[in-house]
Amino acid sequence: MAETRRKDKKIARMRSGSDALSGLCHCGKEGVVFLPYSCKHLCEPHFIRMFDKRFRKTVRTMGMLKKRDRVAIGLSGGKDSTVLLHSLAELKKDLPIELFAITIDEGIKGYRPKTMVAAKRECKKLGIELHVYSFKKLCGRSLDELVRDSVGDLPCSQCGVLRRYALNKAAKELGATKLAIGHNLDDIAQTVIMNIMKNEPARLARLNEPMITRSSKSVSFVPRIRPLMLTPEKEIAIYAMMKGIAIERIECPYAYTAFRQHTRRMLNETEERYPGTKFKIVNSFLDMEDALHAKYSKGAKISECERCGEPSSRGTCMFCSLTKKLSISPISIYHGDRLLRDRRRPHQPDKTNQGHRRLQD
Amino acid sequence: MELVIDNERKDMEYSGTVSSLLKDLKFMREEVVIKVNGKLAPETRKIGKKDRIEIIKVVFGG
Repeated sequence: MAETRRKDKKIARMRSGSDALSGLCHCGKEGVVFLPYSCKHLCEPHFIRMFDKRFRKTVRTMGMLKKRDRVAIGLSGGKDSTVLLHSLAELKKDLPIELFAITIDEGIKGYRPKTMVAAKRECKKLGIELHVYSFKKLCGRSLDELVRDSVGDLPCSQCGVLRRYALNKAAKELGATKLAIGHNLDDIAQTVIMNIMKNEPARLARLNEPMITRSSKSVSFVPRIRPLMLTPEKEIAIYAMMKGIAIERIECPYAYTAFRQHTRRMLNETEERYPGTKFKIVNSFLDMEDALHAKYSKGAKISECERCGEPSSRGTCMFCSLTKKLSISPISIYHGDRLLRDRRRPHQPDKTNQGHRRLQD
Repeated sequence: MELVIDNERKDMEYSGTVSSLLKDLKFMREEVVIKVNGKLAPETRKIGKKDRIEIIKVVFGG
């Protein structure tokens, strides 16, 4: 019965012209975008409407924002975070929230300076305050220097650890109640698959942490929200073009080294052959999330890192483990000329880490 | 038709859809946006002799 109804609907859609064969939007206008996963053509106004509606629905149904939230946007200047900035600025018209942006300058020659120009330009256009933090000020070295000096470590692993640490630290210092990240559907699907391929179910269980509800248990984490997590990457680029949002089309020079790059290609090939795969992966993850959390995160407590005092699920946080490995003493985070964090205790011998200065909040 | 890939242009003859052109040129549909005669177009669109097809890569690592 249900099958017959579905077939009838499909025939009705084909007759009305809103099908892959006709190339028309359901309103009768010529479609400019084809969505293979739903077999639909959409004209420009209906695509924008669908995009905005999905963005707001994701924020609403996942309880990402509430009134009077102070939202920090992790802004790289790439298309995802720039569209996120614009969409949140639009949402702000209906929801009383505060917005500001944080850009992390990793120090990647020929890449980050260009995207930072875009980030500054878009913030100026929207009248949103932008705060810039750099790896150089965070740990004394740029990513280029870290890559040059380190042996064996992949740049993306180092960058990921430092960037996560810096974003959380900066958001906290600036009084944010939420940290909005431009992760899209493709990013989440890749992360799910990568964690499965690397046999890391415990890490998969923490994918949405620290986020929304669970993060509230930990006062040190600024809860992360990903309002674009159900939006395909390509649609973000199309939306930016339609809305006249200038995007920097530039690739990080280290991206080729990442396992993610391989996963991205593999998933895109699968999506091309079996449309809707990425949605199915992310929806499966969201369905399994509670079970994964119950099995792998049960009893796991977020405590403070013994070296820097930042939240960590183990004795020493990943940032401190990395800086120790690279023989870097974490200095402090500066914000412009203002020293945001330099509250080191005098040298205290540590049982587990002799001779290293302990940082305490 | 005129084909533009990342600001490099060339003339070629092709009959088929944008989707089949992408396949022939080994582009992944998920990683590019197509403009036909300066306007966004779906991959299902048939290519005409005088069309100007622009392939814009939009998915990057980083």
